[in-house]
Amino acid sequence: MDNLPILSLITYSPLVGAAILFLWGGASPRAARWIALLASSVSFLLSVVMLVAFDRGQSTLQFTETFDWLPELGIAYRLGVDGISAPLVGLTTLLTLIAVLASWDPIRHRVREYYITLLLLATGMLGVFVSLDLFLFYVFWEIVLIPMALIIGVWGSANRVYAAVKFFLYTLAGSLLMLVGIVALYQEYFRQTGIRTLDVLQLAQGQYSEAFQFWTFLAFFLAFAIKVPMWPFHTWLPDAHVEAPTAGSVILAGVLLKMGGYGFLRFNLPLFPDATRVWAPAIVVLSVIAILYGALMALVQQDFKKLVAYSSVSHMGFVTLGIFVLNQLGLSGAMVVMLSHGFVTSALFLIVGVLYERAHTRDLAAFGGLARTMPVFAAFFGLFALASLGLPGLSGFVGEFLALLGGFRAYRWAGVLGTIVVILAAWYMLRVYQRVALVRAPGEPPDPDDPERRLAVAHGLPPIAGGSDGPHAYPDPRTFPDLTWREAVSLLPLALLTIWIGVYPLPLLEMLEPALAALLGRGM
Amino acid sequence: MSVRLAAPDWSLLVPPLIVVGTIVLLLIVDAVLRRPPARLLLSLAFAGQVLALASLWTIDWAQGATTFGQSYRADWFALAVALVALIAGALSVLVSAGYTESGLDPEGIGQAEYLSLLLFSVLGTMLVGAAGDFIVLLLGLEMSAVAVYALTAFARRRVTSVEGALKYFLLGAFASAILIYGMAWVYGSTGSIVLRDIAETLRTVVMPGQPLDPALLLALLLLAVGLGFKIAAVPFHMWTPDAYQGAPTPVSAYMSVVPKVAGFAAVARVLVQGLQPLSEQWTGLLGMLAAITMIYGNVVAIAQRDLKRMLGYSAIGHTGYMLAGLAAFTTGQAGDRSVGSVLFYLFAYTFMNIGAFGVIAWLQERRLGTTLDDIAGLAGRAPLAALTMAIFMLSLMGLPPLLGFYAKYYVILALIEAGQLWLAVAIVVMSAVSAFFYLRVVTRMYFEEPAGALQPARTPIVGVGLALTTLATLVLGLVSSPILDLVQRWSAALA
Repeated sequence: MDNLPILSLITYSPLVGAAILFLWGGASPRAARWIALLASSVSFLLSVVMLVAFDRGQSTLQFTETFDWLPELGIAYRLGVDGISAPLVGLTTLLTLIAVLASWDPIRHRVREYYITLLLLATGMLGVFVSLDLFLFYVFWEIVLIPMALIIGVWGSANRVYAAVKFFLYTLAGSLLMLVGIVALYQEYFRQTGIRTLDVLQLAQGQYSEAFQFWTFLAFFLAFAIKVPMWPFHTWLPDAHVEAPTAGSVILAGVLLKMGGYGFLRFNLPLFPDATRVWAPAIVVLSVIAILYGALMALVQQDFKKLVAYSSVSHMGFVTLGIFVLNQLGLSGAMVVMLSHGFVTSALFLIVGVLYERAHTRDLAAFGGLARTMPVFAAFFGLFALASLGLPGLSGFVGEFLALLGGFRAYRWAGVLGTIVVILAAWYMLRVYQRVALVRAPGEPPDPDDPERRLAVAHGLPPIAGGSDGPHAYPDPRTFPDLTWREAVSLLPLALLTIWIGVYPLPLLEMLEPALAALLGRGM
Repeated sequence: MSVRLAAPDWSLLVPPLIVVGTIVLLLIVDAVLRRPPARLLLSLAFAGQVLALASLWTIDWAQGATTFGQSYRADWFALAVALVALIAGALSVLVSAGYTESGLDPEGIGQAEYLSLLLFSVLGTMLVGAAGDFIVLLLGLEMSAVAVYALTAFARRRVTSVEGALKYFLLGAFASAILIYGMAWVYGSTGSIVLRDIAETLRTVVMPGQPLDPALLLALLLLAVGLGFKIAAVPFHMWTPDAYQGAPTPVSAYMSVVPKVAGFAAVARVLVQGLQPLSEQWTGLLGMLAAITMIYGNVVAIAQRDLKRMLGYSAIGHTGYMLAGLAAFTTGQAGDRSVGSVLFYLFAYTFMNIGAFGVIAWLQERRLGTTLDDIAGLAGRAPLAALTMAIFMLSLMGLPPLLGFYAKYYVILALIEAGQLWLAVAIVVMSAVSAFFYLRVVTRMYFEEPAGALQPARTPIVGVGLALTTLATLVLGLVSSPILDLVQRWSAALA
C-alpha cells in the first residue's frame, strides 16, 4: 500500500481509457460507453480506497509521490493529498462516473470523441487537486480548459460556440496572470534562499514582503475568482451552463467551480498570509454581493438551467465568504458547501437533464403536475430542492450554517446579509418545485374539485399560477415516463451523500479540520 | 609584401560541406537523368541533411575552435543554429513532398531547383550561426535570404507569389544595405570586423554611466533596423504577410522558420557577442521593439480570414516573444537565460510552425482552400488532420503541456529573472489575445458540420513530416529539461 502510487493511478486511469478509445478508431458507441464506464469506475474505486486509507487525524500530506521532472528549474512531479484535497478527489471521481452514466443516452453524436474528451477532462481535474508543484498544477489547470470548451462547443445546444469561446477566453485570461504570479514567486524565493523550487509547501515557508504579496496574491486571486466564479467575474457561467450538455453542467458545477475554491485554500492563504488579511474584507464584500445577486437572479429565471446556474453563483458566494472570514468555522463551512454543492447542484442539473430529454425544452412554463406522473422523479427533485435551499438535516444546511457562523464572528453584517438569502433560496427553489411538480400542466383542464380553486373563486381572487389554457408548443408533461433505471442510479448516490452529510457530518469534519487548522496556524 | 594564410581546418566545415555536396549532387542528378523520379531527389535532399545532422557529432564544439582566421567559429552557438536549421530544413523537405511531386511547372523549373534553393538557404543559416566576423555573417544572411526570395516566387504564374517575392526582395535588399552601413560604422569606430575583437575594443571605450559615442549609437540603430527587417520585427515587418500568403505553402512553412533562425542568430552574434558592452542600450531598444512587435502581430492576426496570412501575423507575434527573450540579456551575470530561452523558443517554434503550415499544405493538396471557411467542419472530414492542426494551434497559443508553453515559460522566466516584469506581463496578455485567433481555427474545425469531400492524397510523405512535428510538439515539452540544459550551455559560447 505504501509503495503504490495510488494518486497517479486515480489520476491517469481515465487517461488510459481515453487513450484506448483514441487508438481504437472503430470503437462502436456502445463500446465507447463501456470503456468510459470502466475507466471512470476504476478511478472511482481507487479513490474510495484512498479515502478509506486516509489518516484523518493528520494535517500533513499523504500518499505523496515525488520524482524530479525538470530539476534545473526546481520543477518536480509532486503529488499528495490532505484533508482539503482528498474529499475533492472523491467528489471528482464520483461525478465523472455519474457524468459517464448521464451521457449514456443523451449523447448520440460522435460518441467515441465525446468520451475521449470527458475522460481527458477527468484526468485534468484530478491532476489539479493532487498536484503539489505549482508548475504541474498549472499544467493540469490549463489542460482542463480544452476538453471542457469542447464538451460545451461540440455537444452543447444552440448557442454553444459563443458559450464555449467565452468560457475559454475568460478562464484563460485569468490563468495566464497566475502564470506570471507563479514565476514571480519562484524568482522571489530563489532570490531569498538560493533554492530553485516550485514545491508549494516549501514556497509557503518563505517570507515575502507585503508589496510583493499584494500583487502576487492578486494574480492568483483573479484566476481562481474567475473559476469560482465570484461576482463580477461570473458572466461566463450562465452561458456555459445553459449551452452545455447535462453531463457537462454536472462536471462544470460539481468540479470545475471547486477548482477555484480549492485554489484559494491551497495557494492564496498559505503563500500570501499578509496579503490575504489585506484583501479579505474586499473579498467578503464581493462574496456577499454574489450570494444576494445569485439568489435574486435565480428568482426571475424562466429557464430551469439558468436558474440552477445562478443559484450556483449564490452558493459559491458562501464558499468564498467562508474562506475569507479566516476562521476555522468559516473554512470548514466553505469546504462542506463545496462538497454539498457538488452533490446537490450536480443532481439538480441531472434533474434538468431528465426533463430536457423528455420535453426538449427547459422553459419552466412547459412543465407541471409531474409529481403525479413521475413520482420517483418528483421525490428526488424534492429532496435536492430542499437540500439546495438549506433545510436542516440535509448537506446544504451544514455548510451554509458553518460559513454563516464564521461570517457572524468576523463581520456581523456579512452574516446578517447572508442569512437573508436563506429566505430567497427557499423562495426560488420552492417556486420552481411548485412550477414543475405540483401545479397544473399546460393544457390540463382546471380541476373543479380543487378546494383552493373553489376558495379563490369564492373570494374573487385570481387562480393560483400554473397551467395555461391557451395554445402551447410543448409536449404534454403528463405523457412523460418516470426515471429510467440509469437516471435513478445516477441520482441515488448523490441523494445518499446529501442525507449522510446532512445527518452525520462528523467524519467529514474530522477529515477537514486538521488540514484547515494547520492552514490557519501557519499564516493567519 | 606577401601574406601567408594558415591552412584552414577543413574538419570544422564538414556539416556545411555535406550540404554543399548535396546541392551539387541534386543539380547533377537532375541534369544527367533529365527527368529523374520525384522521390529520388526528395530522398537525396532529405538524406543529405540527415547526414549533415549526423556529422555534427564529429566536431568538438566545446573548444570553440576558429578557422579562416577568425571568420568561422565552430562553437556551441554554431552547433545550436546548425541543429535547428538542419532539422527545419529536413522537415520542410518532407512537408514539400506533395508540392514537388506534383511536377511543379510543366515548363521545366523543377524540384531539383526547388530543393537546392532550400538547401542553399539552410547552408546560409548555418554560416550565420558560425560567423566570427561581419563578412561571413553577411554572406550567410544573404545566402539564406536570396534563396528564399526565389522560392517565394516559385509559383511564378500566380501574381500573389510574384508580388510577395518582389516585396520581400526589395525590402530585404534595402535592409541589407542598412545593415552593411551599420557594420561600416562599427568598423570605423572599433577598427575591426571580427566580433570578438569588436567586443574587446568596446569594453575599453564604453564607460558605464557615460553617454555613448554618437558614432556607436548610429551604428547600433542602423544594425537594429537592418536586423529588424530580417526577423520581421514591427515596424520593419511589411513584407511578411504578403510573402507568407503569396508563397507556395511549403515555402511559407520553410520561410517562417529558417530565415528567422538566421535573423536571430545574426542578432545574437552581432549584439550579444559583438556589441555586448553596449547591452544596456540595446536591451532597452529590443524591449521596445519586442513589445510593439508582439502587440501588432497578435492584434492584427485577429482580423485575418486567410490561414496563411494569419500565421504570417502570428509569426510576427512570435518574433516579439523571442525579441523579449533577448531583451532579458544581462551582462556579467552567471546563468543568464536570455539567449538560451530564445534558442529553445526557435527550436520549439520550428516544429509548431512547420507543422501548422504543413497541415495547410496537406489540405491544399486535397484541393482545399486556405481560408477559415474552407476548414469549417474539418474534424468530421479529416479527423487526424484536424487534430494535428488543433495541437499546433494550441501549442502556438502556449497551452500546457504542449511544447509552445515551455518555450514561452522559459522566456517569461528569463524576463522575470532579469527584472523585466512588464515584458513578461506583455507576453502573457498577448497570449490571451492570441487565443482569439488560434482558438477560432479550432472552433471552426470542430464545432461546425463538415461539408464536401477531400481528394485523396498523392503522397504519404507529407504525413510523415506532420507525424514527426506533432510528436515533437507533444513530447519534447515534457522532457525539455535536458534540452534546456544544453541550449543554456550552448548560449554561453557568446559570452
